[in-house]
Amino acid sequence: MPEPPYEHDGAIAGTGFGGAMDLATSEAETLEKTPGGPEGTGPAGKPRSLWSDAWRDLRRNPVFIVSALVILFLVFISLWPSAIASGNPLSCDLAKAQEGSQPGHPFGFDGQGCDVYTRTVYGARKSVTVGVCATVGVALLGSVLGGLAGFFGGVWDSVLSRITDVFFAIPVVLGGLVLLSVVTSNTVWPVIGFMVLLGWPQISRIARGSVITAKQNDYVQAARALGASNSRMLLRHIAPNAVAPVIVVATIALGTYIALEATLSYLGVGLKPPSVSWGIDISAASPYIRNAPHALLWPSGALAVTVLAFIMLGDAVRDALDPKLR
Amino acid sequence: MLLEVRDLHVEFRTRDGVAKAVNGVTYGVDAGETLAVLGESGSGKSVTAQAIMGILDMPPGRIAGGEILFQGQDLLKLKEEERRKIRGAGMAMIFQDALSSLNPVLTVGDQLGEMFTVHRGMSRKDARAKAVELMDRVRIPAAKERVRQYPHQFSGGMRQRIMIAMALALEPALIIADEPTTALDVTVQAQVMDLLAELQREYRIGLILITHDLGVVADVADRIAVMYAGRIVESAPVHDIYKAPAHPYTRGLLESIPRLDQKGQELYAIKGLPPNLLHIPPGCPFHPRCPMARDVCRTDVPPLYEVSPTRGSACHFWRECLDDYDG
Amino acid sequence: MGRYVVRRLLQMIPVFIGATLLIFLMVNVMGDPIAGLCGDRQCDPATAAQLKKEFGLDKPVWQQYLTYMGNVFTGDFGTAFNGQEVTELMSTAFPVTIRLTVVAIVFEVVIGITLGVITGLRRGRPVDTGVLLVTLVVISVPTFVTGLLLQLLLGVKWGWIRPSVSSDAPLDELILPGLVLASVSLAYVVRLTRTSIAENRRSDYVRTAIAKGLPRRRVVTRHLLRNSLIPVITFIGADVGFLMGGAIVTERIFNIHGVGYQLYQGILRQNTQTVVGFVTVLVLVFLVCNLVVDLLYAVLDPRIRYA
Repeated sequence: MPEPPYEHDGAIAGTGFGGAMDLATSEAETLEKTPGGPEGTGPAGKPRSLWSDAWRDLRRNPVFIVSALVILFLVFISLWPSAIASGNPLSCDLAKAQEGSQPGHPFGFDGQGCDVYTRTVYGARKSVTVGVCATVGVALLGSVLGGLAGFFGGVWDSVLSRITDVFFAIPVVLGGLVLLSVVTSNTVWPVIGFMVLLGWPQISRIARGSVITAKQNDYVQAARALGASNSRMLLRHIAPNAVAPVIVVATIALGTYIALEATLSYLGVGLKPPSVSWGIDISAASPYIRNAPHALLWPSGALAVTVLAFIMLGDAVRDALDPKLR
Repeated sequence: MLLEVRDLHVEFRTRDGVAKAVNGVTYGVDAGETLAVLGESGSGKSVTAQAIMGILDMPPGRIAGGEILFQGQDLLKLKEEERRKIRGAGMAMIFQDALSSLNPVLTVGDQLGEMFTVHRGMSRKDARAKAVELMDRVRIPAAKERVRQYPHQFSGGMRQRIMIAMALALEPALIIADEPTTALDVTVQAQVMDLLAELQREYRIGLILITHDLGVVADVADRIAVMYAGRIVESAPVHDIYKAPAHPYTRGLLESIPRLDQKGQELYAIKGLPPNLLHIPPGCPFHPRCPMARDVCRTDVPPLYEVSPTRGSACHFWRECLDDYDG
Repeated sequence: MGRYVVRRLLQMIPVFIGATLLIFLMVNVMGDPIAGLCGDRQCDPATAAQLKKEFGLDKPVWQQYLTYMGNVFTGDFGTAFNGQEVTELMSTAFPVTIRLTVVAIVFEVVIGITLGVITGLRRGRPVDTGVLLVTLVVISVPTFVTGLLLQLLLGVKWGWIRPSVSSDAPLDELILPGLVLASVSLAYVVRLTRTSIAENRRSDYVRTAIAKGLPRRRVVTRHLLRNSLIPVITFIGADVGFLMGGAIVTERIFNIHGVGYQLYQGILRQNTQTVVGFVTVLVLVFLVCNLVVDLLYAVLDPRIRYA
């Protein structure tokens, strides 16, 4: 598929993983007018770098603070789950199956009589691991491939564009089912590998686009005219400008990867018991939904809050980095 | 007077505070008269125009005081529906960038005809005929065929003619043209300006011409109002101003025009930047940039002194300014 | 325009081949295509070899792929695990999924655009903030959780609907599943419409329309909406392909016997023919949807001319 006729905030371009990038590029909060109203700005402010400016904005943004705190907390309990949950997620007592909340077990018990609180706390680790590793992999692979294609153009660019088209044409969940159904290993790595395999085109398109935009900047043209080498131009002039959109989209994608892991586990091809993961627990709880809805609600809630936190963080970072909105 | 603006104040709420875009502007236009409003961007000239038309974004904009009398009635006291009926029919506006100001997905015929179907209740067919007539009027060749085309299919000059045709459609008493030629190639600027001036004379329209181009002004304007930081700093018949400006800012503007007889000399530029509308300097707002500024300028806001019955200047030292102009 | 369509169709060919080949390889190389053929038991070596020969599985993969695609283009999609023709499975499964997708698209258009317009025109007001928050939550909660929760509330607790859909899947039983399938896209449609409306509302041509003295209603419907909906309509168009491919989860929750169900069964039983066959059709649908979307652009926006 060739480029869309013109980019409408990329809404069409990437619906890869649950359309993470639509969210990343579509919204715009332009509530403030510049001083002087429609006629334009008054005197220009002091020049500041994009990043320090963004950071100044982020520090004041309550959405950013809340989502960052949630994420820090998640990282903390994935590293040291025992700090807030003393039990063992795998020690279950069938006699207590489906029982509700009781002292020492605030979230009650699931269908196997496992403590839902403990399992929900311990479930964070797999989700965060999958999310972080998949995002890092996707971001690295996608931005290197996309960046090079955008920079050098020509045949490589066309070939890469066709390859991304191929990956976009395969429904994500379906691809996951096909690929992961034959995997017997019960670790996070096949899931991560799959996400990197199907996720990189999304980032590569964005990286490609922003490299092409950056390449056309006057100062890059000037650097080229002055005889800067390719590698120097890429590293010094283009990469710093192209990296912001990648970071934004990757942050939001992180949330969607976590959701995807849970979805695959729900379908029985992601992580499998005895792994402890929210997806597995939600899946396991769904048959008992009538009698023990709490076993479904707590891990679902944890999952939703996690995904929400990453999406909102990405949203906030995007608002802060988008110079159009200044 | 066809239109009288009296002591108009407009503010914008921004996240850094209140920007005072217009601070007590007073000017007027008669039928058949052309008033040129001059000033840098941010001087409040467009905001005043938008307030007259009633197309300010509110919020963040807010009219903080003043009157806008149009054919004797204060527009600010009218209901929105009454004002809407005046827009287009009683007064019309021509914008700077015709490409973005015309709807990209509707044909120019639809956009012109809309004036007649909405305001005059005409049928679509009659409105279409009127649209062709208007396009002929502004000398767009092959109007009958081109009426079905979209704005992007016209050249810049032709698009601005369509904007003029649209403004002219219902023969309004007042037209506000906001930098109508700035976005055009130099070669077509004169054509479009001449057309506008010609139609204005023919229909005896009161024209407010907003511009920062003094060259255009000399040819077509009757009076000039110079704005700075949301105030009128000088207001005078056009010849008086060109003969000798009575405000150092006007003088700066005139001296920054390149002139053939000063070839080789350094071009004059007003030093400094326009004021930040969030923090307009006390006293005369121009004093930080004024070569004539003295202590009184830093403390006292100059009123619009009467230089002559038809002329005013908001400079404490307008007399000096007049006297030592050698242009 | 004609030349553009031809070029696009030609470009679709490598993508089609790539995507189907990828799936074909995944199923054949990664899995064990004959594992499902001996029922639940392990095949004994002699039968396995026999079966491999019968299905041409002893030949190189590229040859298998060519044979398979050759058959597909003559309308032969092979046989499913239970001996049924894959085409027969398709003829029962696709109508169900198409109905489901139609319900979902209707939700996106009606609810999504309406909410988007309302919030776009009332930015910063409580309605806007509320709707935005809800869309964020909907986007954050995975579809399968949304589905299970709605099934629990509406189906089990309040008994408004049947918790699972009967095998012929009539339209009225598909309303809730359709909403679940649409949910995430619906939230995107709201946000996209809102942004688009809010952006265009400040545009010069809307200012012109107001300066012309048009009534507010006309400014909104004729000038603002007409422009703002272009990206939304194209998003929804492209979404058709995604929804059909993404219906697996929804169909599993509500036990709908559509494309997703058949695919799921095919994957579990490692039936190459079913999986590759269904995926081939889905990829085609996806590509056609994208082509239609691109052409739709040109229809909706006169500025775009394809050469």
